[in-house]
This record gives sequence, structure tokens and C-alpha cells, in this order.
Amino acid sequence: MKKRNLDSAPWIWRTISTVSILTTLLLLFGFGYAIKDVIFPEGDAQLGTGQQTTTPAKDNEQSKPAVKDGKIRMAVIGDSLARGTGDDEGLGFVRRAGNLLKNQGYDVQVLNNMGVNGLRTDALLSKLDEQGVRYVLQQSNFILLSIGANDLFQSGQVLQGEDAPTAESLTAALPETSKRLQEILKKVKEINPDAQIAYIGLYNPFGDVKELKEPGNAVVAAWNDAAMKVLNNEDKMTLVPTFDLFENHLGQYLSSDHFHPNGEGYEQIAVRIAQEYQAETPAEGSGK
Amino acid sequence: MSNIMPLIRNETIKMVKKKRLYIIFIVLAVLVPMFTYAQMKSAENNRDKFGGDWRLELQQAITDNQNSLGSDRVPEEYKKYRTVYIQQMQYYLENDINPKEPGGVTFTREFMNNAVGLFIPLLIMAIASDLVSGERTTGTIKMLLTRPVKRWKVLLSKLITLIMFVSIIVVSAYIICYVISGAVFGYKGFGMPIFTGFKVVGTDVDMSAVHAVDQWLYMLMQAGLIWFVSIIVAMLAFMVSVLVRSTAASIVIMMASLIAGTILTSMAASWQSAKYLFMVNLELPDYLSGGLPPIEGMNLGFSLIVLSVWGIASLFVSFIVFTKRDILN
Repeated sequence: MKKRNLDSAPWIWRTISTVSILTTLLLLFGFGYAIKDVIFPEGDAQLGTGQQTTTPAKDNEQSKPAVKDGKIRMAVIGDSLARGTGDDEGLGFVRRAGNLLKNQGYDVQVLNNMGVNGLRTDALLSKLDEQGVRYVLQQSNFILLSIGANDLFQSGQVLQGEDAPTAESLTAALPETSKRLQEILKKVKEINPDAQIAYIGLYNPFGDVKELKEPGNAVVAAWNDAAMKVLNNEDKMTLVPTFDLFENHLGQYLSSDHFHPNGEGYEQIAVRIAQEYQAETPAEGSGK
Repeated sequence: MSNIMPLIRNETIKMVKKKRLYIIFIVLAVLVPMFTYAQMKSAENNRDKFGGDWRLELQQAITDNQNSLGSDRVPEEYKKYRTVYIQQMQYYLENDINPKEPGGVTFTREFMNNAVGLFIPLLIMAIASDLVSGERTTGTIKMLLTRPVKRWKVLLSKLITLIMFVSIIVVSAYIICYVISGAVFGYKGFGMPIFTGFKVVGTDVDMSAVHAVDQWLYMLMQAGLIWFVSIIVAMLAFMVSVLVRSTAASIVIMMASLIAGTILTSMAASWQSAKYLFMVNLELPDYLSGGLPPIEGMNLGFSLIVLSVWGIASLFVSFIVFTKRDILN
């Protein structure tokens, strides 16, 4: 007995060999299964359509957020302006507006910034079908929307110093894109009928370029007008005007690319958004 | 075969008595809590930001990646990777599954995914690199070879012992990781569905073969692939330990090639023939999760063949050299 305790070899050997055989078999099985699964995969037919077994549970969850706790849940969707491109502090108008509202005593949460640089109306329309985007919009009660500038001004080309837009090209793009804007607004409304929706109107970044000032102003005005027509017919939808803000202060409010606002410019837009919110729901504000 | 069992038994006992083996477990037991803590911090951070709603978090990640696609400063290779990532994340959102559902099981899965390229091979090396060279450093090889046993049997017994311990180490890594991280994140999550079967074709992801598997099965497949990688690394380290006299030199050689591998994997995209190097093929579990391979045209079958060729070649070299070489000094 004593000798056996001192020399633990048989015990060690038995344990180690058993454990190693078991683990090796397990791992071999996993290895074989992995090869089978990767090289000859079988897709699930019911997956990927977004219409499968988990859908009912999801719907329940998604209809939940209509809680009236006075909390502002902001989300922003759209182009580089929504993103906040040009803002040295990276806040964009959504965080700046959020901060302003916070200072007024509101409980504010910025859920998501879904701004994508260079986004146009057609891309946004298909984006609104994405499950994740819809979810975020359903969760929020204050939706900010910025779109259209890329359709009208083809920002890419202008920024790369290629041809500046002509009066003709500006007006040519108008009817089609403003129609898409209307579809976008309707769709957002459909996704979340309870939320406040603020559309950020366009300004004319070329107001200080002699030959572009007039046609640019005309197109932007026509665009904002078209947006207004949709917004007028809906409650809880507003246009946040920016045209007048920038008109005479382009040098002051535009960033170095001469297209996007700078921090100061975004701050000006944010002030208006914050005002817009108060005007819409005085009850919630005073209840605070 | 009759007289090889005692040899294996002997090698096993030697291995168990070696301090090096326990260092592996100690390293795991020290490092895993560190990573667990880091993960916990980042989870806390995200909870503050998104109010604990993973869908918001995931959507923000998607948008952020979409933005980087439009940037001229992001290299084309990364854009490809991000396009694939975006499509997969959208797939998870559409099917209402959180790919990062916090839990000990998920943590273990992700940890092992990151560990396969360097960390696990390093642990394997720790025991493989001195198997033969260690005996030569101490001079015990002479005693071993004066016994009336064929040399190839001596070497084979060492190889079998090594493979036995590779299996034990791989499974232990899972267990240690799960036990420690579970203490923080909870021990649940085995039944959570994970998607696999993404086929990357160019910059597009073919979803037709995507299917959900329970996380435990996913991890079993992952472990199998990690095990295979470990075996190959073990064989290579084994060969180096036969070729090189000093254990230190043999560790340095293996480590240098592994680290070169991780560097190459991140920048080899334009060097096509790098795909035949074993180090570039170590990330096998990426084929399960549907990551973009480091070099275009690589797939699981290809990587398995490349690794097998390396493994078999190194065994071949090991046995030839060991049986032919004069071992007097």
C-alpha cells in the first residue's frame, strides 16, 4: 500500500489515458462534423426570409416601446448631415440637439445615428426595409431625418472639384427625388406612427457662388416646398428650416469642404430641432 | 505494437511530471480572467450607451461599417471584410438573434476563435518543443536509445503521447475558459442558435446554405477544427525539436514562424502564394463563422490539405532524421 501511494504512476497513467482517449474521440467527432457542415452545408428553408417562427415574439417586443415615460428617444437617419460630417467634435445635430434638450431638463437618449455618408433618397428607401433600421425607428419617439442633398447637389462630384452643378441639372433632378422624399416620409410614418418626425430642410451651400446662387436657391426652395406639402398633411411631422440659417452665413457655418456644416452650423440646426420638440409636446415638457 | 504501450506510458508519466505542463494551465487561469474583465467592461460600456438593447447596438455597428465603406481612406480589403460583416449582422437582425448574447458559453466561443491563431499554438509548443531536444539537452536520450527498442518506436511513442496531451489541452482550455467566464457572465447559452454556412463569394455573401446550429454543437465543431490545427502545430514543433538540439532554439523557431503568420495573415492579401504557408491557414474556425479568408480563393478544404501536407511532411522529416542520425554527444 505504501509503495503504491508513493509511486502514483498507475493511477496517473490510467486517468490520463482514459481522459485523452475520450477527449480525442470527442474532438475527432467535432472535426468530422465541422467538415461535413462547412463543405456540404444544408440551408434551413425557413431562415432568411425574416418570416419565421420567432416573428410573433418579436412583434410583441416591438410594440412595447410606446411607453409614455416622458423620455425622449432620438434616432436620426439619412445622409452625411445626419451623420454629422464636418463637425469637428463629431456630435452632429442629433447629439447637439440631445444635449440642448437635456439642458432643458428632459431625459434624453440618442438611440442610434443611422446617417450614412453619401446616402441618396433611393438608398434610404430600401434602407427603410431593413429589419434593424425599422427596429430602431420603432423604439424612438423623436425621429430626425436628413436626406436629399446628395440627390440634388451630387456632393461627391462637387467635392472632388469636378463640374459644379448647373441650373439645368439641379432642376432636372427635382421632380423625381422630391417624389421619393414623399415616399420616405410616408414610410417612416408607417413604421412608427406615434413618433414625432422632424425633417431637416435643405440649405443652399452654393449661395456664395455667383452663377449658382439663383438656381440653387430656387431648387432648394422648391425642394423644401415639396417636403412641406407632405408634412402639412400629417400631424407630428415638421420641417426644420435651415435655408435662412445658412443663407447669409455660409462662411461662418460651413466646414472646409464647403458643403457640410461645421460644428457651429450643426449647433444652429440643433437649436431649431430642440425648439421643434418643445413646440410639439408642451404637455410632456411642462410635466417635467 | 506490443512493446510500444510501455513506452507511451513512460512518456506520459514524464510529461505529467514536467512543470511545463502546469504552466499551460496557470497561463490560462491567469489570462482568461483578464479577458473576462475586459469583456465585462466593454459590455458595461455598451449597456450605458444602448440601454442594454442589442438590436440598437448591432444596428449602430452596421451603420458605422456602412460609413467606412464610403471612405477613401479605408483599404479595399477591409471594405470587403466589412461588407461581409454587414450582411451577416443584418441576417442576425432579420432572424432576431443576438450574435453576442452575453454568457460564459458565448465568451468561450469567441475567446477560442481568437486564440486559435497564436495563443493555442503557443501552449501546444510549450510541451512539444522540448520532447526530443529536451532529452538531448539533458543527455537522457542516450539512456532511452540504449534500450532494446527500435528508434522509430521511441519517436512514435513520443508523438502519440503528444497527441494525447494536445487533446487534453484543447478541451482543458474550453473548460477553464467556461468555468472562469461563467462566474461573471453566467453559465447559460448552450442552446442559443448560431448561424453557419455563410459562403463568401467575392464581396457578396451567399446565404442559401445558412443554417442555425445550437451553440454547443457549433463549439464542438470549432473545437474539432482547433484540435486539428493544434495537431499540425504539434507535429511541426515536434519536427523542430528533433532537428534542433536546444529547446530554447526550438521554441524561438516555432514562435517566430507563428508570429510571422499572424502578421502575414493581416497583410498577405496581395501575395497569392502565401496561402501555401501553414501559418496563414490556422484560422480554421473562421470558415464556420463565415469570415473572409486572408487570401482570396482559400476555403476549408484547401486549408485542411495545406495543413495536412505540412503535418505529414514534418512527420516524415522527423522520423527520417531521428532514425538516421548519429546520437553520440
